[in-house]
Amino acid sequence: MLSASLKVCIIIPAYNEEKSIFHVIRNILRLHPDFTVLVINDGSSDRTEMVAKSAGADVVTLSQNLGIGGAVQTGYRYAAARDFDVAVQVDADGQHKPEELDKILEPIRQDKADMVIGSRFVEQTSYQSSAGRRTGILILSSLVTLFARQPLKDVTSGFRAINRRVIRMFAEDYSTDYPEVDSLIMVKKKHFRIQEIAVEMEQRQSGSSSITSFKSVYYMVKVTLSIMMKSFR
Amino acid sequence: MEKVQIWTTGLSLALLIFVLQLIRKRYLREQYSLLWLLFCVIIIVFSLNTKLLNWTAAQLGIFYAPSLLFLVGIALCLLLILHLTVVVSRLMERTVRLTQELALMRHDLEKSEKGTDL
Repeated sequence: MLSASLKVCIIIPAYNEEKSIFHVIRNILRLHPDFTVLVINDGSSDRTEMVAKSAGADVVTLSQNLGIGGAVQTGYRYAAARDFDVAVQVDADGQHKPEELDKILEPIRQDKADMVIGSRFVEQTSYQSSAGRRTGILILSSLVTLFARQPLKDVTSGFRAINRRVIRMFAEDYSTDYPEVDSLIMVKKKHFRIQEIAVEMEQRQSGSSSITSFKSVYYMVKVTLSIMMKSFR
Repeated sequence: MEKVQIWTTGLSLALLIFVLQLIRKRYLREQYSLLWLLFCVIIIVFSLNTKLLNWTAAQLGIFYAPSLLFLVGIALCLLLILHLTVVVSRLMERTVRLTQELALMRHDLEKSEKGTDL
């Protein structure tokens, strides 16, 4: 079995997620006891660190809140230092199903892609979201498709797997805030292969997206600027 | 020398001395002080030499010479602010890297203290 030989690191960035994180970690370890589950505790003020440790995860605690990108990059640096073959980013809120992990790992196992995005939109799935969010994602998706010259749909998805080479790249260079979209451009710039795979996602169990309505305008402007800057760098 | 010239020269000299004093006491690093020193020198030159100010204004097609002072002043302020945001961006990148390194090292330390494998 080729798959058994791959060293997989699950990276879960967590900021005040004590309510949901226990089950997220347990569910992953139940299905994949051989995976390393790494929680990056991004300066939480609640018991995230304790809860994650008790669920069996390895926990790295940042002394200050760095934001999602800075937290995830810490995980990539961990994975690069320990020579993992694959790193998978999974949200702490239970949105990403552990049953779907095999789906997004498969193309990397077969060396058909360097980066795999778990997507809500490739096929018709049961995922519901607001019209505003769909429009935002549609705009960003068209921009990425234009600049990356590859049709990609769910560009903001935080459910993604990367192989060793991309881990090394992200360990060195990754956006601090809202990194999901422009990291795709970085990956394409280096001529790595991206594949998008349809996955089922849960509605959020608790907490809310890091992208609230107030911040959505800033989000769109910042991400659009990042995409363009990364394309011409 | 006109009254206003004495005022402006005095004030700009005071600023120059203040900046030099800050550098001497290490409140301001040399590398970040260069723009300030340049700023001081320019306003001192224009304060002392009104002919130069009038001549430059005429060359640039500015009818009211003192407005050139405002232009230069605002331009230099913007340059200084831009310089500061560059410095802040670099600082932020370094703080992020330091926070990450610190967290990873503390994690490794805790592990090795417990005697488990890294």
